[in-house]
Amino acid sequence: MNPAVPVAQAIAVQGDRILGVGTVGDLAQWGDYELDEQFKDHILMPGFVEAHSHVMAGAVWEFPYVGFYDRPDPLGHTWLGCQTIAAVVDRLAECERELKDPDQTLVAWGLDPIFLEGERLVAKHLDQISVTRPIFVFHASGHLATVNSAMMRRSGIDRYTPTPGVAKDFDGEPNGELQEPAAMSLAQDGFSAIGVAMMSSNAKWNYAREARNCGVTTIADLGTTRLTMEGQLEAWREATDDANYPARVVVAVGHFDSNSIVSLAVRLRDEEETPKLRFGIVKLVLDGSIQGFTARISWPHYVNPPPGHPGNGLWLIPPEQLADIVSGYHEAGLTVHCHCNGDEATQVFIDAVELALQRHPRWDHRHTVQHSQMTTAAQYKKMAALGINANIFSNHIFHWGDQHAAVTIGEERAARMDACATAEREGVVFSVHSDAPITPMSQLHTAWSAVNRLTASGRVLGPEERISVAKALEACTLGAAHQLKLDHDIGSLEAGKLADFAVLEEDPFEVSPAELKNIAVWGTVVGGTPHVASSK
Amino acid sequence: MKLSGDLIEVSVIGGYLGAGKTTLVNHILREASERVAVMVNDFGEINIDESLIDSSDENTISLTNGCICCSLVDGFATALESVVSFRPRPTRLVIEASGVADPGTIAAHGHGPGFALDAVIVVADAVRLIEQIADPLVGQTVAGQIRAADVIVLNKIDLCDTLTSVNAELSELNPKALLIYTSEAKADLDLLFGREILRTVSSAGHVGTFESRTHESTQPILRENLEALIKNLPSDIQRVKGIIRLAEAPRIPMVFQLVGRSWDLRALADREKSPEGNRLVVIGPKGSIPIAWDNFLR
Repeated sequence: MNPAVPVAQAIAVQGDRILGVGTVGDLAQWGDYELDEQFKDHILMPGFVEAHSHVMAGAVWEFPYVGFYDRPDPLGHTWLGCQTIAAVVDRLAECERELKDPDQTLVAWGLDPIFLEGERLVAKHLDQISVTRPIFVFHASGHLATVNSAMMRRSGIDRYTPTPGVAKDFDGEPNGELQEPAAMSLAQDGFSAIGVAMMSSNAKWNYAREARNCGVTTIADLGTTRLTMEGQLEAWREATDDANYPARVVVAVGHFDSNSIVSLAVRLRDEEETPKLRFGIVKLVLDGSIQGFTARISWPHYVNPPPGHPGNGLWLIPPEQLADIVSGYHEAGLTVHCHCNGDEATQVFIDAVELALQRHPRWDHRHTVQHSQMTTAAQYKKMAALGINANIFSNHIFHWGDQHAAVTIGEERAARMDACATAEREGVVFSVHSDAPITPMSQLHTAWSAVNRLTASGRVLGPEERISVAKALEACTLGAAHQLKLDHDIGSLEAGKLADFAVLEEDPFEVSPAELKNIAVWGTVVGGTPHVASSK
Repeated sequence: MKLSGDLIEVSVIGGYLGAGKTTLVNHILREASERVAVMVNDFGEINIDESLIDSSDENTISLTNGCICCSLVDGFATALESVVSFRPRPTRLVIEASGVADPGTIAAHGHGPGFALDAVIVVADAVRLIEQIADPLVGQTVAGQIRAADVIVLNKIDLCDTLTSVNAELSELNPKALLIYTSEAKADLDLLFGREILRTVSSAGHVGTFESRTHESTQPILRENLEALIKNLPSDIQRVKGIIRLAEAPRIPMVFQLVGRSWDLRALADREKSPEGNRLVVIGPKGSIPIAWDNFLR
């Protein structure tokens, strides 16, 4: 991804950095060398940079997976999809037998009932596994959970429970389905399990293993308030200081009370950075999601919202407060990454950055619109003028593109959502991302999605917004590095940068663009140290 | 008297940015007669006299009156768990929602183990409400909050000269909520927390058909003026209560109670705690409390 030297025969590494790129002959001018030919049949790319994912992608693997599609775990084991209720019950029964402590709650994740034919999975199915051990199953959406009778008993959930979201059958008895956080949190030790797991060392390791398995060498855990918790910074340090930890991590601080977050984020950036643990970014969340009908979308809003929908989505930060919040971080020299799914949210963020810049001119801030799913051409033009970056959720085209065209925003706007070609044309530096675990981590997949714009049903959604393979791969490397303010160190292969490589079995420029996502990954090299993928 | 046994009663305070939620929270912490735990988003905004603070750390402030204030930084579930574990145990939990939150969604948490939801209280800015509801960016958010309310605290009425249209807007959005008029968010806590309603109003109809105003003044009142006022009280006003000082004995705070047509005036037992001046809370059917009452104490 270095335009000056796009292709080379060899790469020389000294310590954790690249000494040079070229022919073996060119590189010999640096003196004695040891020729390492282990990758002579592989393709070395700059390590992929996933600038928007979450450590939760590692934490979920503390628990058994009961989703519909096959999914590989960070250790290389592929969990086969559970395509019937019986398969879900069998999987959980197997896991239940492995638990020694009879009081320990069995927690599982990934259940997606819309794919399971027949009746809905409820408590009585889970009671087949155990009537004494509490069982808690998260749905893939994250908004629902299904629990067994033992879990309800332990949590005091019964026919008299008034909490909205405790689903009840015709007789008024709770059926085990808990909808939305207030209801799910009644089953506290199940509901909190993934959050607790996120703080573990193992989750941090599995997060990096997941990255390694798909060629990602730098991951951003985009937005956590847990750094304020005792021991969390130390836990990140301990993991990333380990020579075997296979990734660099950028931990973005989640906005909360801005005064304390400003000082925390500045201190982390100035005092706590190490080669594999970086800071300097603050994450804001301005609106909800398009598929949840909670993104803030400009007129004419949603095309086919569910009954009772108020017409537009939710603000998570008061729009007129945003400029002050952004200004606080901006003046402290921090970079603000703001979750904006809808175009109305994007506009409010752009306006806030413009005001912050008027108050406090500052060059090269690299504030970034995250998700940027509905950002318009005019908004991209304005973003280019203000120096705002974009990180585009290209995987949405594949995972939810059909629904966006039919139900959420309609054909025309779905065809121009996740508009990589427009961002490129208007001169915005951009990346693409998976938001793992929302969609599985793989920059080859996000690039494939940006290049092909194929939906799950197989149609091309918005062909005009497709970009070239070269541009998509640049977005996954230099583009992402730029918005993390790490492009001086990573994102391309050139002398002086860190020796971070994605090691691929095939050349992405040689395979057909439709095959990009299927390229096998050997693993990565991080700071000169090879890390083989677990499936190898 | 608590209806819910050992459960901690939950009041959710919602309302758009700038309406006066934090002012109300500060007022509650100062005036509470029970052990209240308050959860707030922005810890830095809590503004309590130093003399009232017993101790504080990064995420909690303990007050000498038994109240405690804690941060929501780690989320609801964590905060709720810590509230149950406070000793002595609070009798009421007040959750301050963020300015854009749907307080109804937050209220769903008020049914968790150990808790019983009391009411959703929404603070509205009388001066800006109509403009906010018409705003293309936040109108839906503000209107949704008003609709979710059991109690509406219409704040800043002293600064509002369009009260009639504000009232019309409120009664269209949410005719069922009890309406409390305030300035500086000084709502009567008995009303806010439902006790007053249970005692005096519920027999007379649904709470949502009632409104309340608090009248304050500084000069002691002549007894004859007070009596004249009671005599001329609009007939549908059921309840007046508060603390006043009579011109005849200005240093003795007197508790005034009126229920129906009978009233009572007696010296306050604990004079130390009494505020300066007069403060009367008037409760009556919506539209029954004449604004002219604002002058009655003068």
